[in-house]
Amino acid sequence: MGIARTMIGAGLRVLGVAGLATGVMAGAANAADTIKIGVITDKTGNARFYAEPVLQGIMLATKIANANGGVLGKKIELLIEDDSNKPDVSASKAQKLIDAGVVAIISNSSSTATQQAQNTTIKTLIPQVTHNGSDTLTRKLDNKCFFQIGPLGSIQIRTLMAYARSKKLKTASLVTDNSALGQILAKYFKIGLEKSGVKVTVEEVIPAGSKSALPQMQKVRAAKTDAIFVAGVLARENTLFFRAYRQLGLKQPIMGSFNLSIPTFLRTAKGLMEGVTFIDAMDPAKPEAQAFIAAYQKEFGKKPFSLPAYGWDDMNFLIQAIKRAGSTDKAKLCAALQGSTGWAGALGAKGTAYDFSKGRAGFNPQGAVVRVIKNNDHGPVVHSGTK
Amino acid sequence: MVALMRWVGGAAVLCVIPFLLQPYELDLYRKLLFWVALAISYNFLFGISGQMALSHFAFAGIGAYAVVILMTQAGLPLGLAVVVALALAAALALIVALAATRLEGFYLALATLAFAQLLIVVLNEGGSLTGATGGLTNYRLPPIFGFVIGGPGTAIIMIAVLLATLAILLRIDRSWFGRACRAIRDNSEAAAAMGIDVARTKTIAFTTTSVMAAAAGMVYAFFDNTVNPPVFGIDNAIMLLFMVIVGGSGSHLGAIIGAVLLKLSQDFLEPIVGHYHALGFGVIVVVAILIQPKGLIGMWDQIRARRVAARKRAAS
Amino acid sequence: MSDLLELLVSATASGCVYGLVALAYLLVLRPTGVVNFASGEWAMMGAFAAYVLAGMLEVPTVVAIPGAVLVLAVIGWATEWFTVRPLVERGAGHLAPILALLGMLVIYHQATLLVFGGENYPLDGPFGFNRVELGPFAGTSQSFFIIVMTAVIFVAVWLFFERTVWGKSFEAVAINRRAAALMGINLRLVTALSFAGGAAVAAMAGLLDGPRGSVEVNAALPFAVQGFSALIIGGINRVEGAILGGIILAFAEDLTRRYVPIPSGLALGVTPVLLIAFLLVRPTGLLRAKEAG
Repeated sequence: MGIARTMIGAGLRVLGVAGLATGVMAGAANAADTIKIGVITDKTGNARFYAEPVLQGIMLATKIANANGGVLGKKIELLIEDDSNKPDVSASKAQKLIDAGVVAIISNSSSTATQQAQNTTIKTLIPQVTHNGSDTLTRKLDNKCFFQIGPLGSIQIRTLMAYARSKKLKTASLVTDNSALGQILAKYFKIGLEKSGVKVTVEEVIPAGSKSALPQMQKVRAAKTDAIFVAGVLARENTLFFRAYRQLGLKQPIMGSFNLSIPTFLRTAKGLMEGVTFIDAMDPAKPEAQAFIAAYQKEFGKKPFSLPAYGWDDMNFLIQAIKRAGSTDKAKLCAALQGSTGWAGALGAKGTAYDFSKGRAGFNPQGAVVRVIKNNDHGPVVHSGTK
Repeated sequence: MVALMRWVGGAAVLCVIPFLLQPYELDLYRKLLFWVALAISYNFLFGISGQMALSHFAFAGIGAYAVVILMTQAGLPLGLAVVVALALAAALALIVALAATRLEGFYLALATLAFAQLLIVVLNEGGSLTGATGGLTNYRLPPIFGFVIGGPGTAIIMIAVLLATLAILLRIDRSWFGRACRAIRDNSEAAAAMGIDVARTKTIAFTTTSVMAAAAGMVYAFFDNTVNPPVFGIDNAIMLLFMVIVGGSGSHLGAIIGAVLLKLSQDFLEPIVGHYHALGFGVIVVVAILIQPKGLIGMWDQIRARRVAARKRAAS
Repeated sequence: MSDLLELLVSATASGCVYGLVALAYLLVLRPTGVVNFASGEWAMMGAFAAYVLAGMLEVPTVVAIPGAVLVLAVIGWATEWFTVRPLVERGAGHLAPILALLGMLVIYHQATLLVFGGENYPLDGPFGFNRVELGPFAGTSQSFFIIVMTAVIFVAVWLFFERTVWGKSFEAVAINRRAAALMGINLRLVTALSFAGGAAVAAMAGLLDGPRGSVEVNAALPFAVQGFSALIIGGINRVEGAILGGIILAFAEDLTRRYVPIPSGLALGVTPVLLIAFLLVRPTGLLRAKEAG
């Protein structure tokens, strides 16, 4: 029975590696007196294209806070973990960060990965913050220490609907892709549209890897709806959408989710997006947004789009709560986060602030804005709020 | 008797480990055990029976989803849910096997890959039954015989599944059935000429190992108390193939080593070399195949054979 | 009706892309018996090569396209030399090269990801996306460009195999490696050229498709799956099978999405179902091998 012996051998080897890891971690824990904040981000997977700019914002906010003397007299130390947008790995990394003594975790990955990581953080009630816009993240689990910064899918659609009311829509087409976030956004778009009395007559999916969106867009054209709503988040597939829209000579207004605010589209769908309206969470007229823009410009020498602002707000949301809690104890921090009201971030329309007193998604429902693409750039705000 | 003692000893060591680990290491440990269990059964399917199927992870997904759906939506008690889910996985595996084992070599790989893709489509489009793209969550493992099962508990259940998989497959491997499988792998025409029912043997091997994958998947479902489609996609199916190849296909020990090595390299190399770990991973696979197609186990055998030969030479 | 004709043009162009990837598989598979799942990565890398040349270095398209194809041909050649040849010469099992190429797939993928990240890059088509009408058929100029280029490639490859001594020697290797070697055919050269040719054709698929959506690393896996599905549908024995399979697959997908009243997410199941059906009912594909002679 050599196999049993080898099994024991394999077991011991695991033990050895594990022991080594424990030693390393124990060493790190008392290395410096810092406030450790964990970030789970996607550096190597398919959410990387939006996770990287958001990470920039997280790091920039940290750098500025540390340059101003830190928080509670301590420097912030970021522990960054890559989950490759794999849900099971995301949950493991959350545990790794908790073991390493972080006071809170920022999730910067897909909604599915964030969900699985939440199943880990809920066990110890360590505060977890994300800017992911999926409504289900706070609904599937009752986790009182999980917080969402960005505009939810439902807020986005309500804002878009408020804007659309002036257009007196009766029917709409809904186009998305088969990514998890794209599907969830489409779901909330549909609920929102139907609540407002707009009939969704066509629902189309452009799956990842498609070579053309023509069949779907022909159906959209045949339905002659008053507007087309885009909930997709994949850059390539959305480009196919815009391409088919132009090819078929469609004229209906296009209204998109906050994902169209990703600058990639201005390059891949260059010249195809003129007049497209989309949800953005950043209003360049807001003083807090201007502060962020100035800081970003100083650091990187160019004008930011809104993505890094999500990370900027993730981090500043934590910092203001730690300051108010006067402690990094997770229960006190969690309570302080829950009590975050009246704190204004870079995101949100001018004059709006976060409010976490009523729920764990604190983005002000009036905070999303509708912008329009003009001269192949993110143009002016044409509408703000849900009224 | 000695053999039994060794099994008990091995099980005891594996079961003590979870209580010595930090939570993160425990999480890695049980996910590692999940991969090892899958690698052992996949090795029998691919390495010993010679069926390059890419549906193994899909069956783990079927097991995971089935037990959760049966428990939370059909309201079955855990025990019954497990039995029904296993039966379901067996029935599905049998259907796939009956069709797929008629195919040889890469045709089988393509057909089972298509099956795995189809499963992902079904999971994504399953509405509230499968939780669509977000998957299912907000459930937990009910107490078993009055015991509330925590992290170490799930690890121990995984160990039980792993050891049962290994024990059964070792037994089968040494029986006439195992020899038949190897004979078919090496030369199916010769095996048929020897009177082996090729189709039947392949079907049984496919179904048995797929059910074992489903069993491992069921335990996985209670690791993070959530199941979602991306985990059971094609990436992990290919990862499993690599584990068996790098360790040494056809060898139980090789599969175990391959799984441990590749899973841990993912977790421990990434913090050191960053994104290069993924590139290095590909290099390891290619180099392993180029140097020794029988993987690390083959390399070890080679070294040992050389040493024995050298000793013999020295003695004479 | 005009909808259908317009859709057919677009679907034919998509089918051409599938067909080119299928041809990339086929060129490698015929003489060596190796299924190269990295064909999808080659297509993706071809698009990136074109992006580097045309988008970054601003080389004119007439140079960028052959340039990108050449880059990939060299990569294909090197891949054969480095991973497949040692295995074949050692007499490793027929599965070993397939697995080694799976490992190469990871290397290609991760290396490209390291260099270019997860971003999407625009690639300009040589004629843009103007609406072109040919009789009742309407489509974008890029669609017609894809169709014309694919037709040229397939005719050239077909002529090569059917009308040249060189092509015949490839065919001889495909039928029986040992006999071909005895006849004095240089097996090494034939194998190396097959890989170079496969990578070149895959590159064409990638760089023709690139302008439609954009260039991204994630495009590789869909290319790989669509390509071998087309290959299985058309049959692995003849060059014509690759394009036939590609067009059938694209028509099945697009017509299902357009006219079959099922949720469009479920339409994703068309490819795997078609693939399974062909594997079970007609594993030789639509076109069978020609009779000897």
